Amino acid sequence: MLVLTRKVGEGIIIGDDVKLTVVEIKGGTVRIGIDAPRDKKIYRQELYAQIMAQNRSSTGWSLEDLSLLSGTISRKAEENK
Amino acid sequence: MNIIQSRFGEIEYDPQAVLHFPQGLIGFEDLRDFVVMPNEKDGPLFWIQSVEDAQVALVLTDPTNFFLTYKVEPEAHERKVLGMEAEDKWHALVVVTVDTNHNVTLNLVAPILFAPHSNRAIQVILEDSGYSIQTPLPVVEQAAATTLKAEKSEKTVAQG
Repeated sequence: MLVLTRKVGEGIIIGDDVKLTVVEIKGGTVRIGIDAPRDKKIYRQELYAQIMAQNRSSTGWSLEDLSLLSGTISRKAEENK
Repeated sequence: MNIIQSRFGEIEYDPQAVLHFPQGLIGFEDLRDFVVMPNEKDGPLFWIQSVEDAQVALVLTDPTNFFLTYKVEPEAHERKVLGMEAEDKWHALVVVTVDTNHNVTLNLVAPILFAPHSNRAIQVILEDSGYSIQTPLPVVEQAAATTLKAEKSEKTVAQG
């Protein structure tokens, strides 16, 4: 891993189109500004990891679950209408 | 027709009708094609089975069945991935999780945007949305149900 030291207001350029700027450092928290094209996916790492884990844990259902839930869930959806 | 194996046995499907995720799903980036399986019972749940991995099948639902104001619009680059023209419609779907105690939650943070015209889909992440990745189904009180009903008819009129 490349490690660079930056001060507030300084930045880092990645490739042709991504620029990171250290906006603020306060206590143990760093605020980072990111300039990048809209189609670059930028997420907080832990959020991405949580969604990955959630997707994976969503593959463990059984057809029995689906059948049992369909009744209760249909009722809930109906109540919402 | 093609045949694939799944956790639930053999599935016969039309390769022309598969749902295509050009970028895969989050955590399953290599899985691009899914067969849409109807639920045998009536109701808002259905499931998708990976063509490439027999072990991967996900239950999906339209979240507006439960959260009427939930709305996600594809951004320009997402429209491109979905192969959408300006007037094309889309639907937001969410992944349903059933845990070992049969509790059901919806992942409202990472909806799947589906474009019927191209049969493509993309899973997006909503940063700072205030939603939970494990949103329980709402408990509907009578009064709340009435309000929601009113909201929904307004919405229908607005979309007219």
